[in-house]
Amino acid sequence: MRGPPQAAPAPVPSGSDDWDMWRYVARRLLWVVFVLLVISAITYVIFFIMPPVNPVVLFAGKSPTPTILATVSHQFGLDKPVWEQYLLFVKHVFLGDQYGWPGLGFSFQYRESIRSLMAARLPVTASLALGAALVWLVIGIPIGVASAIKRRTLVDRLAMGFALFFVSAPVFWLGLMFLWIFWFRLGWAAGTGYYGFTTNGFGTWLNHMVMPWVVLALLYAAFYARMARGNLIETMGEDYIRTARAKGLSERRVIFRHGLRSSLTPIVTMFGMDLGGLMGGAIITETVFNLQGIGQWAYQSVGTGDIPAILAVTLVTSFAITFANLVVDIVYAYLDPRVRYS
Amino acid sequence: MIGLKRKTAGLLGMGLALALVAAACGGTSPGPSASSPTASGQPTRGGVLRTAISSFGFTGGFDPTDEYLGLAWDFYGAMLRNLVSYKHIGGAAGNALYPDLATSMPEISPDGLTYTFHLKSGIKFGPPVNREITSQDIAYAFERINDKNAGAEYGFYYDGVIKGMTGQVNGIKPVSGIETPDATTIIFHLTQPTGDFLYRLAMPATAPIPVEVAKCFPTGGGYGRFVISSGPYMIQGSQDLSLSQSCSQMVKNPISGFDPTKQLILVRNPNYAQSTDNLRSNYVNAIDIQVDANVSDIFNKVAAGTLDSSLADPPPTTTLTQYLTNPSKKPYLHSDSGDRTWYITMNLLTPPFDDVHVREAVNFIIDKAALQQAWGGPVFGQIATHIMPPIMLNNALTSSYDPYKTPGETGSLALAQAQMKLSKYDPKHDGKCDIASACTNIVMINRNYAPWSTMEPIVVQDLAKIGIQVVPRELETGAAYQTIDTTKNNIPIALNAGWGKDYADPFTFAQPLFGSAALIPVGNTNYSMVGVTSAIIKKQGLGVTIPKGLSVPSVDSLINQCEGQAGATRQQCWVNFDEYVMTKVVPWVPYLWATNLTITAPSLTKWVFDQFSGYISLTQVAVNNNISVSSLG
Repeated sequence: MRGPPQAAPAPVPSGSDDWDMWRYVARRLLWVVFVLLVISAITYVIFFIMPPVNPVVLFAGKSPTPTILATVSHQFGLDKPVWEQYLLFVKHVFLGDQYGWPGLGFSFQYRESIRSLMAARLPVTASLALGAALVWLVIGIPIGVASAIKRRTLVDRLAMGFALFFVSAPVFWLGLMFLWIFWFRLGWAAGTGYYGFTTNGFGTWLNHMVMPWVVLALLYAAFYARMARGNLIETMGEDYIRTARAKGLSERRVIFRHGLRSSLTPIVTMFGMDLGGLMGGAIITETVFNLQGIGQWAYQSVGTGDIPAILAVTLVTSFAITFANLVVDIVYAYLDPRVRYS
Repeated sequence: MIGLKRKTAGLLGMGLALALVAAACGGTSPGPSASSPTASGQPTRGGVLRTAISSFGFTGGFDPTDEYLGLAWDFYGAMLRNLVSYKHIGGAAGNALYPDLATSMPEISPDGLTYTFHLKSGIKFGPPVNREITSQDIAYAFERINDKNAGAEYGFYYDGVIKGMTGQVNGIKPVSGIETPDATTIIFHLTQPTGDFLYRLAMPATAPIPVEVAKCFPTGGGYGRFVISSGPYMIQGSQDLSLSQSCSQMVKNPISGFDPTKQLILVRNPNYAQSTDNLRSNYVNAIDIQVDANVSDIFNKVAAGTLDSSLADPPPTTTLTQYLTNPSKKPYLHSDSGDRTWYITMNLLTPPFDDVHVREAVNFIIDKAALQQAWGGPVFGQIATHIMPPIMLNNALTSSYDPYKTPGETGSLALAQAQMKLSKYDPKHDGKCDIASACTNIVMINRNYAPWSTMEPIVVQDLAKIGIQVVPRELETGAAYQTIDTTKNNIPIALNAGWGKDYADPFTFAQPLFGSAALIPVGNTNYSMVGVTSAIIKKQGLGVTIPKGLSVPSVDSLINQCEGQAGATRQQCWVNFDEYVMTKVVPWVPYLWATNLTITAPSLTKWVFDQFSGYISLTQVAVNNNISVSSLG
């Protein structure tokens, strides 16, 4: 007896694209781990094997005795062979140490776990980087687009003048000028320092972040404006744009639907890298505005020979950049169907 | 103590300033110093002293047992009390000792080996300990110093001085040379007469420490965020520290008012009784010290009145120029003796500096006036003519003693050449160093930023006049020090060196800088290798050799001689020591006795400098800013 007719097999969704993507992501994540290991090893060699200053002597007082040197060396774990120190470091990163996971050791300078110091500083840097990124996108891209559309007009010249000025203006100078004008002379802006919104309220946090955001963003906005302008002008000369116009699409639709999408793809790549880099700290902006973030910490740690802190910041920055790079590549494939995960 | 040498950023900022300031401040005398009102009105109690620093830069995590940073000692002056202490004022008077926790100065046995103190009653630890301070708490501080795990950075002031103290003990153990027969008596037994022992008892590491809290921090630096007050001020939030929690819990919950990356807020200790203390005035209700990595911002805030004073960072050029040239601002610039000597050090083991006549010639040829200008002029310090800053010798030896005097302190080719002619390196007797292998390509270590980089061409050119050709190697501060403090490097000459006192006795210069006991392979501070012998080289593994036929002078017996004396005899002994080192050993060219610069706002109504710490006196200054303590934190 024949059974009921079997339902025709449902069309198997073509999962090969998804599978490719996940394989790609997994491969890239492994690559991230490898890159971090290499970077940590290089950092280790630079700062532990051939340090510019010997941290033991630095933290043993002005007139160290051999006993003190030995004690400090032991406390810092520097009395073990370097290869053992490095393997311990890697082990602690993956499995955690006495302070938790990931184990990043303790700061020579502050005698405190790197994790807690990092946890206190990451929100500061994240606040600065994300806020500034938003500002530079909001300022930079519209200016670049306007400049490209109104090419060779006053708008274009003003826009490119803006870009030239802020590309040329050093951030430390710009920061000091902003502080002098808007805080010291006019009293419009709050002064320096970071005031977390969980402890001081959103308004206070915002007040103290606006100037750093703007100062940091102006440099990037200038770059993005120039890039957006160049890309859009190039794209608007492509054949498919001419085709779109020939089909009778409105100029607005041609620009925003067809021109802009394709011209902004390279900017996504740049944005990911820039944001990743900034998560490692914007040293100058953080210093000028007294934002105790990752960058300022790295700078101080180099000066004080706080090697575990330098190592931790290097790792975080490397991770942020490689991870951002990965995200960008994935997003890129969505934006540009010609890109495949292979 | 360690001053600002690790504050690279601040010094870089200062460096930028110097060239411009030099013109503005040449010959300009600084504003009021040591102690003076800076605004109308008498000091009143209240308000909050608001100040900032680019980085705390602690060397021992702010743990009193370990910490060797002068700035930290400034804070301890407001937080901790010792058996004897200072009035925390400026000038030579600021170096005088008075009983603090003790009822009076100690009874000292005729042989100088036993010191007996009696403690005042009614002095309590701050919250959360809240109990009376006993002699056992002071003994415990010494037991911590003696524990090798604690890493006491200046334990050498007690090791081998107090019986039973070696700094090598594993764990907290009683010290045989310290007796506490009852809660208010403490007796120290010394191994040898030590004329500056009272100064050593005024060091922060010897202030009482409550075992209830400190037991949780057996290794160096840990107690720094949990320091319990015995003085007029405590870390804000101390009262919230629970003594009932386990050590593993406590270490995770430091006192809230201190975050070494951000701030230190000191508020009044409710258990402090002013009636027990006639050394400190304690005008302000609180002290708010913020970390601000932007040095310019600190001084802008002082100018804007949102800070009452700078703290330890040297002012940037533009700021300094304004305060030096504007009569209305000048009273707010304070220049006080930093009890620090900047010097060029010469290695007694390396040619041509292994010849005393060459070293004397170098002393005569260096244009010290030009070096002072390279720093920015007299506001940055007085030209040094010998080893110890005058205040260290209670002005018994001032700049009037100048064994290498030249007109205008600009150097003298004739005098230098006359000395060079006596040297074995001048066989032609032309007043120049003639032997190429000894007189050329001599490595000179220096720092890579101003004023050191500004001084460098002056020194290079001066030395060239007498045939000494040096090759400068410029390094970052820490690297420069570590290059010259590693003996096997055998660096012939260095321009980067400076030394500040730990306490106001010349021993703190003599022993580490010229004593053979300081000679160790790494971390050596006797850069000139004074007193080195073949036996010491072998024993310590210094990795150097003594040139054949060279007899390296030693001053160990002189140091021991002075150390065993007290009072006026001791002072004269150190005067003789300084003169002997300058004329017989000649290891240095001292060129500047540095000042510390502070800028205050009009809201600071009484300015006082703390000569011991070298910074603002937190317990003697007053403000009128009406800031409330509740607004802090």
